[in-house]
Parts: sequence; C-alpha cells; structure tokens
Amino acid sequence: MTSNPQSIMASSRPLSTWDRINPARYIGELSETRFWMYLLLLPSALLIMGVVIYPTLYGFQLSFREMRLNRPDLGTDWVLLKHYQRMLSDQIFWISLRNTAVWVTAAVIIEFSVGLIAALALNRNLPGTKVLAVFILLPFFLPNVVAGHMWALMLDPRLGVINDLLVKVGLLGGYKAWFADPSTAMAAAIIVEAWHSFPFFTLLLLAGLKGVPSDLYKAADIDGAGSISQLRLITLPMLKTVIAAAVILRVIGLVNSPDLLLILTSGGPGRSTQVLSLYAFQTAYKDFNFGYAGALSVIMFIFLMMFAWVYVRLSKVNQD
Amino acid sequence: MAFARSRSKLVWDIGSYVVLILLAFICIAPIIWTFLTSIKLEEDIVTRNMIYIPTRITFEHYVNLWNQSGYPVLVINSMITTSVTVLICMLTGTIAAYSFSRFHFRGRTQLMLAYLIVRMFPAVLMIVPLFIVMRQVGLLDSSVGLAVAYTSFLLPLFVWMLKGFFDAAPKELESAARIDGTTRLGAMFRIVIPIARNGLLATAVFVGIAAWNEYLFALMLTTSQGSRTWPVGLQLMVGEFQLPWGMLAAGGIISILPVIVLFALVQRAMVAGITAGAVKG
Repeated sequence: MTSNPQSIMASSRPLSTWDRINPARYIGELSETRFWMYLLLLPSALLIMGVVIYPTLYGFQLSFREMRLNRPDLGTDWVLLKHYQRMLSDQIFWISLRNTAVWVTAAVIIEFSVGLIAALALNRNLPGTKVLAVFILLPFFLPNVVAGHMWALMLDPRLGVINDLLVKVGLLGGYKAWFADPSTAMAAAIIVEAWHSFPFFTLLLLAGLKGVPSDLYKAADIDGAGSISQLRLITLPMLKTVIAAAVILRVIGLVNSPDLLLILTSGGPGRSTQVLSLYAFQTAYKDFNFGYAGALSVIMFIFLMMFAWVYVRLSKVNQD
Repeated sequence: MAFARSRSKLVWDIGSYVVLILLAFICIAPIIWTFLTSIKLEEDIVTRNMIYIPTRITFEHYVNLWNQSGYPVLVINSMITTSVTVLICMLTGTIAAYSFSRFHFRGRTQLMLAYLIVRMFPAVLMIVPLFIVMRQVGLLDSSVGLAVAYTSFLLPLFVWMLKGFFDAAPKELESAARIDGTTRLGAMFRIVIPIARNGLLATAVFVGIAAWNEYLFALMLTTSQGSRTWPVGLQLMVGEFQLPWGMLAAGGIISILPVIVLFALVQRAMVAGITAGAVKG
C-alpha cells in the first residue's frame, strides 16, 4: 500500500481534521488495494446469495419434506422421494408436461419466425421504419396482466371484436368462446403469448444482423445469389450464436413463468391449458402443499437444464 | 441485369413496408381497442351491434376506478415497490457492473456466468422459500419485502445490461484521471458513471418497468391492501364484479401509460443495452 503513488501523494500534504474523518478518503485508499474488484461485487453477490441461491437450495430441500401450510398436524418431516413417486402416478402432472411441450414449442416457433421477419425488414433501414420499430417492440414491455385483459376483451364470446370481424368476413358462423373451449383455449393463449413476446426475438436478431459484415452480401450479389439463398447461406449461419442464445432465454421464460396462462385460463377449461409451472404455482398458492410444489419445480428445473445442455451441444455440433 | 436487380430491390422494399406496417398495426391494435373501450358508455360496450368508433365519449370508468376500487392505493404501492427495487439495483448493481467491466481478476468469467445462470432458476422454486423466509423475518406483505424478492431476477439483469454500457464507455478519460492521481473510486464516480449515465438511466428504466409489471411474486407475497400492487389488484377485480370491462380497460390504460411514455423516451438507449448484453452473453 505505501508503495502506491496515490498514498504517497495523499500523505505529502497536511491533513485537515475533515480529511482525517472523511470516509471517502478511506474508501478511496481502499479502492487502490488488490481486493477492490471483489469489494465492489460483494453487496450484489450477498444479495443474490440471499434471495436466489438460498431460496433455491431451500426449495430443493423442501421437495424431500412434508410441508403443508394448511395441515400443520402433518409436521415437516423428511419424506424422501414421496413427492417424486406421487408425480409418477399423478395424471395432472403428465398432462401438464405434455401441455408445457406444446406451449413452449408452438410459442417459440411462432415468435422466432415473426421476430425474424420483423428483424429482417427493419434491418433494411428504410425511411420511416424507426417509428414502426417502436410500435413493434412495445408489446414486450407491457405487463402480462394488461396483455391478458386486452386479448380476453377482444376474444370475448359476447363482445369480442375479433369474433365480430371474423363473422363479418365470413370465416366464423357465430361468436366463439375461445378460452372456454378445450380445443381452442391453448391455441388462443399461444397467440396472445406470441403477440406479447415475439419482439424479444426481433430485438436480439436485429442486434445480431447489425453484426453481419456487409461485404458478405456484396460478394454474394456479385456471385448472383438471390435474396433467399443469401438468407440461408449467409444471414442464418452468421446469426447462429444469437439465435441459440435467444431461443434458450425464451424457452427458460416460457417454461418458468405461468403468469399469462394464470391470467387467461388458470389452466382450464378442464386441464387443457395446464402447464407445469402453473401446476406448481397453484399447488403452492391454492393448496399450500409446499413440498409437492417444490418437487414439481425441481423436475421442471432439471428438464430445463437438460434442454439447455442438449441444445447448446447440438448447435455446437452443427457449427463444426 | 442491373435493372432486374433494382426491380428485385424495389419488390423487397415494398414487401418490408407491408410487413412492418401490418406488424405495427397488430402490435398496437389491442392497445387502441382497450383505450376505445375505456371511453365507451357501458351500453356501447355490451351491445348486439359492435360499435367500433364510439360516438359518445365518457370518462366515468376512470372516475369509478379511481374513486371506488382503491386503485390509487394500488398505484402508490406499486410506485414504492418499483422505486425500492430500482434503488437496490442501482446501489449494489452499478458497482458490480463496473467491476466486471473494468477489472480482470481470478474467477471473473465464472462469476459473470453465475450472474447469468441464476436467471434459469424457476420462479416457483424460489417463491415458496421466499414466502417462508419473508414470513419469518416479518417482510411478508410489505413493499420492501416484495422489492427485495424482485431483485432476485432483476439484479442479475441490471448488472449484465449495465456492464454492456460500461464496456462501451471510452477508457482514455479514466486513464488520464488515474495518471493525474485520482483514486479508482474517484475515477468510477466522477468519470465513468457520468459518461455512462444514459445507459444507467436506460437500465434503471428497464428494471423499473419489469418491477412495475410483475404479477406472480406480488400475488404470492402480498396479502392485503397495505402492499398489494396494481397488477394483483386489477386481476382481483375480475373476480369481484361481473367482468367490468370498462373499468378493467381504464385500469389497463392508466397502468401502461407510464410504461409507454418511459419506453418511448429511452427506447433507443434501452434497446442498445439489451442487445449489447445479449450479443456478448
């Protein structure tokens, strides 16, 4: 410390009383030590330990214990794999698992396709499209609750404007209760989800497109490659990393957050829109069965990790 | 040949405009329809013949919402929770982002990865333990407790996004100040943070919007009017009354108004930050 130029300079001039007690001076000196970068990370790291790591470990532990808030008589004993065994014979779990697969796959495919088209069109930097970009990105920043209500209003069986339009165009014989019919509830919810989150792909893909060197396209032009083959041979391969990152982040979001389905359908009608995250949340929030909810989320987490691992490996294999 | 190319370019240009205008319309049509519903008379909302452009305008839904449903309290609660969340993120996250951006030290890559991976943890897995812990320490059903819970997914996001902005800030001024004898602390607060202030603002707004919008944690961790946020309150109205569409629409419009205004103001910097973080991550 004493060999530090700053410390020498600081000590070479007379210290006033304020200088001696000024905390900024001590922190300033501290900032010259080897530990400074770790000290800067300490507050956020402690907070993340407290609100993420500790609760997650606690949650893992809960999944091996009995814990029902509304049944204190059962105690909080260890039950080992009881919750996991129950899952195997739990019909709702298997339905939720299947629905989660449908929900995530369909939503990601639609969101990626629309997001890519919007990003490609915006990347042409045509005059006037900056304003359109603001409109196109806006849904992603809107709250789930309001997005859900807006679409529930438009798809309402009695006063929904979409029903009215479809009837007027002749595509529909009469008003339809989209969210009350098991055969259309999931599709309707996926449309709402796609509307809400496709801008996420637009955002990331647009950033990726900015990083593709324009020389590549010029060379392809000279070679006479058409727009479609340029997209297939230059754009998509160059975007591989961004696409992989965006898909993984979106799948995590879709698997983990039941918000939109909770607002639109609560898993109904029947179990037609019941997904794993929603089932886990309702098990905790409605039944207060914290142990089983924990086990369901642990399984969800394991599936997610497996997906991320396989997906990253596959996109690496393709690169080689 | 050249003619064919320019004609093909024209076709793609027109196609782009058509796609973008169509998408922009799909994106804002629900918002416009909700706004139109919020200013319609009740009998014009529930009607046999759909009324597209209201001929009679009323603000009674807004007045009712404000006076009868306790909405002002919900909005104030949300404001407190959002402010505390942003404050915690700025106090602890800014210095962390600076550390990641400016120093190379042992364990840096692993730590940065850890800040990214914690976002993979299922919210439901954390909500139950947070509920138990918050109840034990008396933070259940409090704005501060909810804000602390929000940092679980917003603080890592804040650090990653802000790091991108710090990376983009030029290092020369900082080096010059260091040569002049400024401490690292002084360089951080007087040089780097002021340079990256637009990025800091955009990051804070992004985290603020996310906290303002959040529903799931709020549903589980707030139980009374004392700390309940507006998304939970708005959702509860669905059960309380017979689908009061006018009031729901009015509540939705009021609640997304600050989001739209803030997004429009800082969207350019915010978009740059999200994409910078994402591309590097």
